[in-house]
Amino acid sequence: MSTAAPVLWQKNPALAWREIDDETVIISPQDSVMHELNNTGSFLWKNIDGDKSAAELAELLAANYEVTPDIALSDTQALLEEMSSRKLVVTVPATGGVTT
Amino acid sequence: MTATSSAGATPIMDRLISRTVQEHRPLSVHFDLTYRCNERCVHCYLDHDDHGELTTAECLKVLDDLARSGTLFLTFSGGEIFLRPDLYEILAAARRLHFDISLKTNALLVTPERAVRLRELGVRRVQISVYSDIPAVHDAITKVPGSLQRTLAAIPILLEQGLQVKLACPLMRENLLAYRGVMALAEKLGVPYILDLTITPMMDGSGGPLEHRASVSSLLPVLRDPVLHACKPQPTPQAASAMNAFQPAFGSAVSSGIESSAYEDLPCSAGHNSCYISPYGDVFPCVQLPQAAGNLRTEKFDDIWYHAPKLERLRAIRESQLPICSRCEIRSYCERCPGLALMEGGDILGAYERACLLAEEEARLAGVVAPVSALHREQETGFVQNALKTEFASLAANSSSD
Repeated sequence: MSTAAPVLWQKNPALAWREIDDETVIISPQDSVMHELNNTGSFLWKNIDGDKSAAELAELLAANYEVTPDIALSDTQALLEEMSSRKLVVTVPATGGVTT
Repeated sequence: MTATSSAGATPIMDRLISRTVQEHRPLSVHFDLTYRCNERCVHCYLDHDDHGELTTAECLKVLDDLARSGTLFLTFSGGEIFLRPDLYEILAAARRLHFDISLKTNALLVTPERAVRLRELGVRRVQISVYSDIPAVHDAITKVPGSLQRTLAAIPILLEQGLQVKLACPLMRENLLAYRGVMALAEKLGVPYILDLTITPMMDGSGGPLEHRASVSSLLPVLRDPVLHACKPQPTPQAASAMNAFQPAFGSAVSSGIESSAYEDLPCSAGHNSCYISPYGDVFPCVQLPQAAGNLRTEKFDDIWYHAPKLERLRAIRESQLPICSRCEIRSYCERCPGLALMEGGDILGAYERACLLAEEEARLAGVVAPVSALHREQETGFVQNALKTEFASLAANSSSD
């Protein structure tokens, strides 16, 4: 049976951003709003590359920080939703579905 | 451990400035791509001949270095940047490196097609020089007939692409009374403006442009104009509304950061978290402090930024230790510039006449009774002491002759 392809996440390419001391400052050029990500947010930001799903990002988070997989996933999903609502990240469909 | 956004007690820009000042990160860089220009403004401090501009490859290398060093805010200026045929290539590289990009231009060469490219390349803001709303006044300053009409025609073209436009109006003898017109023009266009009272000497230190500087006495009507907030940047309408929408949970509007408390005992941001790069690769603390700390053709940016003796000496300066200005009772009204102190007064640590006169006027406007700067007080004291010495000498001479 085949399921829908997972949603992959990528940064909004219009943004200006810079990582400074493990924190990331992001500027949306359209509205000049500044955003700031903390250490873990920055870790996820660096790994948001258009090739990873929320689950894959959460796995990376759990592997690199002292956090359980469940919490990593819920935190990752919450951050992605927050960033998506602010147009900092967008989703891209994965090519091909996942067969189980 | 959570993965969330961080929002401290202070706005993001303040935190960013504090952090970068403390660590001497080059947060903001002004990069002149050329000194060539299609206008010949009477007050301009640049030599417009090309003495060997950085090549495209050299510019791209500079951008790589700046991104690695942590620069976020990048302003491309000139001269006239649209005279660089590789402008879009440079902007595209800056976009790939995720800089926040601003441009300064006279906009004479802006077309709808070019405005589209600017938007596609992620330019956030375009600052345009406008000297008056009266063509004869503006064109007499630029020495290009029809320039105001062409500059103004570019503004809606840029706005249509969603680019933020800001008018910049340096005030000088030739356009001193034009500021109300520029303010009205900005209001009509729905864009912010900045009026600038600073006219600087040539970068080689010669004083030609200063002939066009308005005297402090002639500036009084401007300084006293209640509707004017001279030299105070205004947030754009978009930025202001966005700030309301997102604070304090996640984001805040980009501000100039000029008023940040991080600069409290520093003369300014120059050399602390900002610098200037000339079209020839020279790294200066600021365009108004033309003391080259190094050249990017022969040195890496980080080597200059973190190790150049000129920058290290500049970073050691504290306003509270300035020999004259630290004793000044009206210091809080002063907009002393270390570069102008050097170029006009010959001493980067010193006081200079223009700043003192303006500070006294600002203090008077704020209600200070008979404000006197430390420099002028010292001069008065010196004058009195000299007069007393002369009188004593005269008395002594008279008594001995008696």
